[in-house]
Amino acid sequence: MKWTPLVATAAFLTMLTVPPAFADKLDDIIASGVLRCAVVLDFPPMGSRDTSNNPIGFDVDTCNDLAKALGVTPEYVETPFPDRIPALVSGRADVGVASTSDTLERAKTIGFSIPYFAFTNVVLTRTDAGIETYDDLKGKKLGSVAGTFEAILLEDDMKTWGSSSTFQGFQAQADVFQALSQGQIDATVVTSTVAFATVNSGNFTNLKVSGDAPYPVDYVSLIGLRQEYGLLNYLNLFVNHQIRSGRYQELYNKWVGEGAAPNLLIPGSYY
Amino acid sequence: MFNYTFHWRPALNALPQMLQGALVTLQIAVLSMVIGIAVGVVLSVFSSSRNKLLYGIYATWVEVARNTPALFQIYMAYFGLGQLGIRLDSFLALLVGITFNNAGYLAETFRGGLRAVPQTQTRAARSLGFNAYEAFTLIVLPQMFRAVFHPMTNQMVWAILMTSLGVVVGLNSDLTGVTQDLNVRTFRTFEYFAIAAVLYYLIAKVVTLGARLIAWRLFRY
Repeated sequence: MKWTPLVATAAFLTMLTVPPAFADKLDDIIASGVLRCAVVLDFPPMGSRDTSNNPIGFDVDTCNDLAKALGVTPEYVETPFPDRIPALVSGRADVGVASTSDTLERAKTIGFSIPYFAFTNVVLTRTDAGIETYDDLKGKKLGSVAGTFEAILLEDDMKTWGSSSTFQGFQAQADVFQALSQGQIDATVVTSTVAFATVNSGNFTNLKVSGDAPYPVDYVSLIGLRQEYGLLNYLNLFVNHQIRSGRYQELYNKWVGEGAAPNLLIPGSYY
Repeated sequence: MFNYTFHWRPALNALPQMLQGALVTLQIAVLSMVIGIAVGVVLSVFSSSRNKLLYGIYATWVEVARNTPALFQIYMAYFGLGQLGIRLDSFLALLVGITFNNAGYLAETFRGGLRAVPQTQTRAARSLGFNAYEAFTLIVLPQMFRAVFHPMTNQMVWAILMTSLGVVVGLNSDLTGVTQDLNVRTFRTFEYFAIAAVLYYLIAKVVTLGARLIAWRLFRY
């Protein structure tokens, strides 16, 4: 059948162009009784697995709270960082509770809630690499998870340094730490929470935190499909309630540590 | 079921970057083939060796290369050797991994090719005064390459596609690396991956057609 491939292609193209019947995602979630959260589980303390392999962390608990508010059961869809959005768009997950930085570039594709957490970045290096501050990164072998907030800023700075430093972009946070520990790279820039959790985990004894990276605060949001206003509105209110009920502070103390949780107000601006 | 509007214009703006990546992909594939062919010939000679050590090297290499995933081989070249203190960068680790894989497959292909050259060819060459080395390189090898040329082309295409595994060891300059980088920055997954798929297809097609032309030029009677 020499026409078969042509017909198949035509059918596929038709499928892509015919607009789908509009059904509100929020209704769908409530009706199905299940909230499927895309979570990243190699990013402690936001997401990881406990000794019996169950998902745990700040993001996992946030997903649980959201499901409870909706009156449904939570289900976790584990995704590596680059696959968060494909998981949403292809319908494998309903929302992403996955520490997603709210860049304007990404907002062209995906819908963001108001920030539910904020990160600052630090330099993570090997104890024998001779790196004490961010400025010492010049001329070193660097790496990070490709395309993340901190990776983009690091690569931009490296361009202005113009020296012989090299950059390797990995697909998973765990691979960055492995490469750093083995010496394929000398340092990485990573969110402070993850850096301290990794150093304190005892899995990598030769790693240490060497000062702050001079980057703006990295606000992260819950994500949903861009056109699902009903769901995005709900997510905004949910985040607001997490903060006003004190649950945000409680989760921070449970997963990250002592002290006050990061301020999510952007100084001098409306949201 | 498919809640997505395609944005082709900004995606196509990234085409020069992706073509640059395609060049790196081709570069790795060609290097891994050239080295792989050299190692493969040596291994195929080892395969008929009576020396236990040489035969052992051949057997182990071919067994591991053909019966473990290429992904695992590349991972071992990067993190495995790294554990032993041998630190290859992403580019080299990918090259070593694919070359290891290529050499294993090609060794078996060449072994078959050598069988296809009749013993009488060697004997005739020797009786005409060629020494053993000359008889092998000037008489047997050219005939073997004629017999295995098409399987070799397949391996070349396979090598091109295997380069996409470089992202697992942090390579971000090849076609998949560039694509993945654009993807996480913008989240326009489907556009960039569609363009990448077309580019891979075109590279593979050009290589296949090129190989056919070379075969026609080199191997006609």
